[in-house]
Amino acid sequence: MKIHQAFAASLLLAASIVARATTIEMDVNGLVCAFCAQGIEKKLRSFAATDDVAVSLEQRLVAVAMKPGQDIGDEELLKALTDAGYTVKAIRRADEPIDAVRKRLEAARR
Amino acid sequence: MHFSNNRRWVATLLCAGPLALTVQAKPIAFANGTTVMSEYGAGTMIEAQAFYAPYYWLSTGFGYLRLDSDVERRTRDIEYVRVNYLVKRWNLDAAQANVFVWGGLGNASGSDFGGSRLARNAGFQLDYETRRIYGSLKSDLWESTAFSHRVDTMQLGLAPYEHDYQDLATWFVLQAREYTGEIHRGTEWALLLRLFKGGAWVEAGFTGDGKPQVMAMFNF
Repeated sequence: MKIHQAFAASLLLAASIVARATTIEMDVNGLVCAFCAQGIEKKLRSFAATDDVAVSLEQRLVAVAMKPGQDIGDEELLKALTDAGYTVKAIRRADEPIDAVRKRLEAARR
Repeated sequence: MHFSNNRRWVATLLCAGPLALTVQAKPIAFANGTTVMSEYGAGTMIEAQAFYAPYYWLSTGFGYLRLDSDVERRTRDIEYVRVNYLVKRWNLDAAQANVFVWGGLGNASGSDFGGSRLARNAGFQLDYETRRIYGSLKSDLWESTAFSHRVDTMQLGLAPYEHDYQDLATWFVLQAREYTGEIHRGTEWALLLRLFKGGAWVEAGFTGDGKPQVMAMFNF
């Protein structure tokens, strides 16, 4: 019985880890107009793993939310942004939902 | 700047002489993007273009240009194909600068010569942009056995506020334009209001002698 409980708990834990959405933030140079943002958003949304994209010209930031359990590698992201014509300065990963990133960006504008 | 094999091929083509095809002006919006643009320039110029960009540094498409001289009663109508090429881009912390070149071939007709002629086109644009200031210098040369015209345009823009992606961007633009080949004498000054949001861009204003100038561009 204890073995079954431990197995079920392990499954739940694994499922919660897989279900946790990751948000990737990128600091991007050259991001000065809506057309820049539009091109980047279009490119990032073409990835099957992408759930949502947020772009801030003010913070020069591009945030990509991953679908649960999915990911896009740093190399792939770097190539996507370079192929879109921009320079990536840094890539960070966090468990922060993209809506929270949006709220943070909005707060920074005030 | 990183040059891929494709890019080297294009650069070689651009340097290959009179048959070389090149690039454009309000040129390449973004990779895998389509740009449709139309401009009415104070009664002396009407232009419409449609371009597709497979890469952020290359686009190709077609257009129509009409030049209507206010010096002599003569017109030029040119349908053309064109290739636009981004020679260099500087992605700075809060700014971007670009050098574009372009070129193409077209079919030209005019009110002061019979039949149609092969028209050759070449040009360049330099631009620098932050979220508050914008500057560009563009030169567009059209030649055939019947005519030679160059349209030089300088624009200086100032944004009253810094827009973000979801905002409506507003710009006040001062434009100076000169034509060669007796299309218009002297410098044509214009004050324009430019608005854009998402993939839509609209610009309208008046020249110093009260003629309207309107431009619309859509990227998708």
